[in-house]
Amino acid sequence: MRINLMKMVSTAALMFGVSIGGAAAQDFPTKPITLILPMGAGGSHDLNSRVFTSIIPQYIDQAMIVKLMPGASGQTGTAAAATAPADGYTLLFSHNYFDQLQQHVKDLPYDTTKDFVTVARLNSARFCLIVLADSPHKTIEGLFDFGRANPGKLEFAHSGQWGAGMVPGARLLQWAQVNANMTPYRGGGPSLRALLAGDADFTVQLPSTIAGQGDKVRTLACVNDEPVVGSPPTFKSIGFPTELGEMHRIIMAPRGIPADRLALLREAFAKMQEDKTYKRMMKRLGEDTNLMDGADYEKLRPVQSGTYKELVDSMTKG
Amino acid sequence: MEVLFGAMIEGAGILFNPETLFITILYMTGGLLLGMFVGALPGLTTLTAMAILLPIVFFLPPIFGIPFLLGIYKGGIYGGSIPAILVSMPGTGAAVATTFDGPALTRKGKGRKALEVALFSSVAGDFTSDIFTIFAIVPIALIALKIGPPELGAVLFLSLIVISATGSGAFVKGLLVMVLGLFIAMIGQDPIGALSRFTFGVFELRSGISLLPMLIGLFALSELLLNIEKKASAYIDAKLKVREGERLTWAEFRSCGRTIMRSTVIGTSIGIIPGVGQVVAAFVGYAAAKNASKHPEKFGKGELEGVAAAEAANNAVNGPTLVPMLTFGIPGDNITAILLGAFIAVGMRPGPQLMAEQGPQVFAILLAMVLANVLFLVVGYLSIPAFARVVRIPKSLLMPLTIMFAFAGVFAVRNNPTDLYVLAFFGGVGYVLRKFHFDVAPLAMAFILGPEIERALSQTLSLSKGDIFGYIMFERPITVVILVLTPVIAWYLWRRSTKLRRESLGMANQEE
Repeated sequence: MRINLMKMVSTAALMFGVSIGGAAAQDFPTKPITLILPMGAGGSHDLNSRVFTSIIPQYIDQAMIVKLMPGASGQTGTAAAATAPADGYTLLFSHNYFDQLQQHVKDLPYDTTKDFVTVARLNSARFCLIVLADSPHKTIEGLFDFGRANPGKLEFAHSGQWGAGMVPGARLLQWAQVNANMTPYRGGGPSLRALLAGDADFTVQLPSTIAGQGDKVRTLACVNDEPVVGSPPTFKSIGFPTELGEMHRIIMAPRGIPADRLALLREAFAKMQEDKTYKRMMKRLGEDTNLMDGADYEKLRPVQSGTYKELVDSMTKG
Repeated sequence: MEVLFGAMIEGAGILFNPETLFITILYMTGGLLLGMFVGALPGLTTLTAMAILLPIVFFLPPIFGIPFLLGIYKGGIYGGSIPAILVSMPGTGAAVATTFDGPALTRKGKGRKALEVALFSSVAGDFTSDIFTIFAIVPIALIALKIGPPELGAVLFLSLIVISATGSGAFVKGLLVMVLGLFIAMIGQDPIGALSRFTFGVFELRSGISLLPMLIGLFALSELLLNIEKKASAYIDAKLKVREGERLTWAEFRSCGRTIMRSTVIGTSIGIIPGVGQVVAAFVGYAAAKNASKHPEKFGKGELEGVAAAEAANNAVNGPTLVPMLTFGIPGDNITAILLGAFIAVGMRPGPQLMAEQGPQVFAILLAMVLANVLFLVVGYLSIPAFARVVRIPKSLLMPLTIMFAFAGVFAVRNNPTDLYVLAFFGGVGYVLRKFHFDVAPLAMAFILGPEIERALSQTLSLSKGDIFGYIMFERPITVVILVLTPVIAWYLWRRSTKLRRESLGMANQEE
């Protein structure tokens, strides 16, 4: 019990911004770093951030404080981060759809590519397409065949317009030339309910969510690069370009951040990757720890933008 | 059933293990106190507190961590009622119905009585609904799954009508204010396609009007303005004579018994329907109490039963709300989403498997909720004298302090200066509306429920694939029943409200 209490006290201390660890004299960071989340409490970004902000202080000798700024589908928080001083004390925890897709469907008061530089791609979430266990659609090809033969008949419940659960599904349908009826729900939970209640024929969910459903649902295809043992076909194996079916959770800094500070932050995230507690906690959440260095992720952004533009154009004109 | 019963007994064994029980109680008490504190201070919310403290759960065994979070959750709901009762400042939508009678009681010097009745009703409502949830978890889960967008939309629409009809003013005036609220809710992005509406190119309006500044403006600021106008002569005048206020007598509590029971049933039923929530429960509970009362004219003027009705109902929602989260892994709101994260983090992944694989652990946590209610009765009761002292603050200090807390609290939530304008603006709106004898509650409720109804309606239209009539008629029987009942209930409420109004007008004339 004493150990638990100790742990609790130290966590609480971290939470409230007391720095713990062998602090060497350094000029950055000398005060807590604010991490803006342009989304609300309780979502997967929130949960992920709670984990890494309680570990990262060991590597930067300062606390990292989560600031939830939901509103206007991510615009409120993103705008706040875009206008914050580029001193490394304000970071943004976002995802690729806010970062590269939104500009093609909305008139934004900022330019994410010009205003932000990637610190790290923390991890990515790879979606799977699921149907009910007693669904007549046994395979992904079967579902597509039915959809092509009966345009508009298939009901796709997704997690919100241009959101993380919708884009991979919409891309896949577009690629397979299936015309399905798409109904947006308020997040992954309600869209899963729609499937379980029989209101929808299929939905796109994270593997961690699907794991909890046991034998109630059947997974038809996943965005994994390589097939896991006993798992359904990957999108790649059916010929679908996988790289765009992932949600990347990215930590961004306002562009103009001094190079040494950016390097320090990137290094801290790379070191955290080896942390046992971090790994254990992320595993419990069912999340990956596949970090990608900020410099590498920067190369992905223009590619994403191009593909998203194509998708948006094809869906809005026609 | 026998399996469940066995799991229940085993669960009790886990919770009441003498080696851990004391520590569980300590964590839970800590959570309750913290929840009460953050709930009572505008600017700190239960949701934020739970999100910030979630990592603690990662390091603790489930039987300590989860009860800690549940403590914050339960303490927070009651905490929100404290400023609602004392200074008419609802921190959340769920506390709005408490402002109908709470502040009026405080002004009569019965602030302490109001706090006590709120505590007892909250605990009674919560306790009963938790017990019910434990025994009926399977049927609740089945019903919850049946509620899709069409049913939710119909229920919310009916709730809106009931809320507008039971305000203090005329039915028509209630409807007018409701429409205003629906319009204000449309400012910002629409809930389906996220397109900007009525923003006139102003970026700050893109995220819409935020709820907390609007609520505090409409209820607390306008109340202060009205009192300043009256030179505050009547404002908490009685406090000097009765000091902290009298305690609740047993007879008074017993007279609220029926109301508490009714509200508990209403709150529990509403909790079963995912997506409706505490706000609606509090209002419907209040409305039902007013309708059933022999002296409905006293409601809104400082009636203990009014506080009891709202508080029992909004707390009774809690038990069943957890069911879809536990049984399907589908959180109904942000708070249950954080609890879902906590469950996952301690290795209990909610979903159909959870009950089969870790039934005893689930029941241990459900029983911990029941225990939390008992603890809360003690913790809450001991803390009431401290809160009741607020009314002893001289009004020359209390009023400026309230204004300060209103502005500081609203700013603290998002550090967004726009919210301060919203607060001041809705303070003015509330003042003008109340001057013209409009009830502001339907505005707030329409604002909260409007986007939900719109979302449900759009989803229903999408699901119907163009044939809305055929879809509702032949595939959604529950929706049909609710839609048919709506005009009947509206007509009944309209008749009652006109009758009541005639009577109360007569009484008001006599008073003047």
